[in-house]
Amino acid sequence: MNEEWSEALDRTIVSVVPKFDEILKEYPYIKDYADKLTQIKLGVLDHLDEYVKMTVESVEKSGGVPHLVKDKNESQKVVRDICGKEGMVLFAKSNVALELEIRESLARDGHEVWETDLGEFLVQLAHEHPSHIVVPAIHMTKERIGKLLHDGLDARVSSDSTYEELVASVRKFLFQKYINAKVGITGANAVAAATGSVVLVENEGNIRMDTVIPSTHIAITGVDKIVPTLEDAFLEAQVQSAYAGLYPPTYINVTSGPSSTADIESKHVTPATGPKEFHLVLVDNGRRKAVGDPDLRNALLCIKCGRCYFTCPVYGTLGYDWTQPPYGGPMGAMWSAIIDDDTRPANLCTHSGGCKVVCPVQIDIPKVLEHIKWLDSQKNR
Amino acid sequence: MDYRKVERQLSLVRGVVYKNLLENYMPLPVDRSACSRWTKDLPPSGQTIIYTSYMYQLGSVFKSYAKLLERFSGVKFATRFTFLGGFLIRPKREELERASLILNNIVALLKESSVQVAYLYDEEPYSGALLLELGLLDEFREYGRRLLSFFDGRGIIRVITVDPHTTNALLRLKTLLKSNLEVVNYLQLIRHSEGKGSFVMHDSCLYSRYLGLGDVVKSVLQNSGVTLVEDRMVTAQDTSTCCGAPVESVDEELSEKIAKARAMKLTSVHKNVLVACPLCYQNLSPHVESIRDIAEVIR
Repeated sequence: MNEEWSEALDRTIVSVVPKFDEILKEYPYIKDYADKLTQIKLGVLDHLDEYVKMTVESVEKSGGVPHLVKDKNESQKVVRDICGKEGMVLFAKSNVALELEIRESLARDGHEVWETDLGEFLVQLAHEHPSHIVVPAIHMTKERIGKLLHDGLDARVSSDSTYEELVASVRKFLFQKYINAKVGITGANAVAAATGSVVLVENEGNIRMDTVIPSTHIAITGVDKIVPTLEDAFLEAQVQSAYAGLYPPTYINVTSGPSSTADIESKHVTPATGPKEFHLVLVDNGRRKAVGDPDLRNALLCIKCGRCYFTCPVYGTLGYDWTQPPYGGPMGAMWSAIIDDDTRPANLCTHSGGCKVVCPVQIDIPKVLEHIKWLDSQKNR
Repeated sequence: MDYRKVERQLSLVRGVVYKNLLENYMPLPVDRSACSRWTKDLPPSGQTIIYTSYMYQLGSVFKSYAKLLERFSGVKFATRFTFLGGFLIRPKREELERASLILNNIVALLKESSVQVAYLYDEEPYSGALLLELGLLDEFREYGRRLLSFFDGRGIIRVITVDPHTTNALLRLKTLLKSNLEVVNYLQLIRHSEGKGSFVMHDSCLYSRYLGLGDVVKSVLQNSGVTLVEDRMVTAQDTSTCCGAPVESVDEELSEKIAKARAMKLTSVHKNVLVACPLCYQNLSPHVESIRDIAEVIR
């Protein structure tokens, strides 16, 4: 990476580390929540197939359409079939959608596709990769973002514009897209097996728009995001938000099936004002195989908060060059092995150890990476 | 990221280093007698030994793994390198002199705390830490069996380590192979020491975030009279980072960049940097004007 990377990352770390400290000091129960969540997720991994089945049944019961897919090709086919030909498709920073290259596959079909999370939108505009799982444009300085928007979107902003002016410029552009969108694609911070509910945490408000305005909402997520109940899903959303440095979150969204109403004689009618279709695409893509590996399975506890990135000297030096985006930093070195069977990034782990100190769900990341190094050594004999 | 070089380096470690370990208990052909001349006063056998694993004596050699392996990367040459009896890597004189001061001071500190040690001199084997840290777990386990058998054969029941990498490697071996060998770091045994000066401490990752010895290191220093200057963004457990040394053998450039960045952070807190690991010293010293090991500061 270049000098801009060091500068941008330093600015971010100086800004976020005190926020992490403040959140955990002001809301000490978050640590208890994180401990509880760890136990809940360990329990799910012990019976993952049962929870997947329960989730599928619950989504059907709520009027949604579940899809259990095994890999990238199958995921792309399912989503392309739902989206049909042409039309505007909006994305709300689903990392699993990025993992499966869903956006690219829809663009090839002729869809107009836009990311609506600000950071992910900037990365899309620059034709680059996300450099952090929660803050995808962490590698860009404000000055470069100003120039990027000036050249590609809005001649009125520049590298000298204020933070507020830059955000407002994107907001104005995206509003036109929301109105015309046919499909909204999100990820999921957690999926409640008992109710088939998808829980999403955010601050920008884009997820609310993506999940309500288009006539179809597709949530794409990994089977590792399943927790037993809606209460557990809220727990995960809160912990994720706190360890991403944004607590309390501005919004927590829950979607259980398509929009509906029972306002006329209590008769349940769907759709109502919101989407008429809700699809949950549950993705395996290496996850279920990883459950069977006693060391690698711990990586599936990851709630994708991105806290570990900020402790890692290898990420600090290599940025998104280290692993295959969207998963980067120490967690990305684990997830490359799970989803791509790419064991090579783990070899660069220096076992600095900060990642395991900060991990809210107590993943001993260096130990997992040591195991992946060993897996790599087995391949190259 | 082009991982071809990393894969080549790992293959060399497996081929050259592991073979040397199995044959000579050393990762590279090194002049062991030069490395053991730092003392003549310790008994050559006993139940309790001081175990240097050559970390202070060969710090710069360990830092140059990548270059050394690169030099011998041709298949023919690698074979020669492994078996060439006459060829020995000799550490620099000034490095051996510095190691001698450090190791003799550690022995004196242990004596002050009523701990008597023997030393294996040029029979001392290397710990195998490099294999563990590169994830070569099968090789580490196999070499570890030999190492523990070596200690057992000499009646050694207690090993006093002087650096974090060796401490970590032996403790892992104990767990992996269910050994009764007692492994203790010298800093855990010091009852009294004196020191002075102000420093910013570069935590050893292994002491601080793996072995639970971070507080031991800091309390030894603080009790001795040394002042440690702290900074939330540089020296806390979750903001202190690696010096880059563990990745040197597979990606020298990455290691250097990490070292330079860490040195810049440390010197932004205080000009005097203190380390507790010989590899941290090697990696950071090119980028820090004033850097010392803990065993150069306390007496």
